Amino acid sequence: MFHAFDTSGLNKPMKRPDWMALLARAPLALLEQGLDKQSATEPSWLRRPETGLYMVLARAGGTGERFNLGEMTVTRCALRAGADVSGLVGVAYVLGRDHRQAQLAALADALLQDPAQREALNTKLLQPVRKHLAMLQTQRAARAAATKVDFFTVAREVDGIDEEDGA
Amino acid sequence: MKAEHLQQVRPAFHDPALGSQAVFRAALNALSHPGRLNHMPRVTDLPSHGHGSAAVLLLTMVDSECEVWLSPALENTDAAAWLRFHTGCPWAESPDLARFLWVANGDALPALNTLAMGSDEYPDQSATLVIEVDAASEHGEQGTSAFSLRGPGIADMQSLSVRGLPQDFVE
Repeated sequence: MFHAFDTSGLNKPMKRPDWMALLARAPLALLEQGLDKQSATEPSWLRRPETGLYMVLARAGGTGERFNLGEMTVTRCALRAGADVSGLVGVAYVLGRDHRQAQLAALADALLQDPAQREALNTKLLQPVRKHLAMLQTQRAARAAATKVDFFTVAREVDGIDEEDGA
Repeated sequence: MKAEHLQQVRPAFHDPALGSQAVFRAALNALSHPGRLNHMPRVTDLPSHGHGSAAVLLLTMVDSECEVWLSPALENTDAAAWLRFHTGCPWAESPDLARFLWVANGDALPALNTLAMGSDEYPDQSATLVIEVDAASEHGEQGTSAFSLRGPGIADMQSLSVRGLPQDFVE
């Protein structure tokens, strides 16, 4: 759910997998807000949003046999930003069935590939997403911390005389 | 698929259901009437390489379980990226492993006797060859391979002439 690359380093350049991972978890409201003007135009679709299932595989403890944990609903799409052939292609895979969310995430992916727009989008769209994810993580940690139980063992006093008797 | 290949990909069917049905109908007509010329409906955006009709036919027929072999002129072009992106087809290492083969205009045909023949139990496992030619006509023309076809799907006799096939195509 949360990854080390979610925090933006000041000096390290942002790579495409980083922002795609952020966009995949960005809630719709933040996407709409960050892309307000750009999201109004109808993109040219390479692959319209389609919803399907992914089988999630898991492995207990990292060493156990692989098993099917369960299926997840995923919506994906690919589009070209802008009407002409030179427009950048963006791709998105998001959890759930929200076509609009997948569309906006793909649009953001396309626009972020344009170096001229990257900085502005980073501030306007990705930073709020990072903040939102950090908040989720804090909430989750706090919920987990509330259930924490400290176990302690009182050292037993050993009765030396009994032991000698038994011997 | 690499990002630079994806960047070249064009859209496919304008309407996936109706488009693929129209192409499938055209293919069915063509196969049930050997030698009769059919027009492929224009229902997709096309890649810049390869012939449109071949591209549309393969787009309709191929899926993620069909190994496809492309002739050298098509390999690593936007036609390859387009077909791969929209169908998810794997590429065959060599012609004999392919279920569908797409031979561009001017490229040499792979040796036909090496292609998958299917078996008596599963004749459907044979390879399907999609060849682009310069021209085809139901009447004789100069400088063409001419055929007189008889058999299932043909009432009496069907003549067909094709320009762009190698001389030894039928032997």
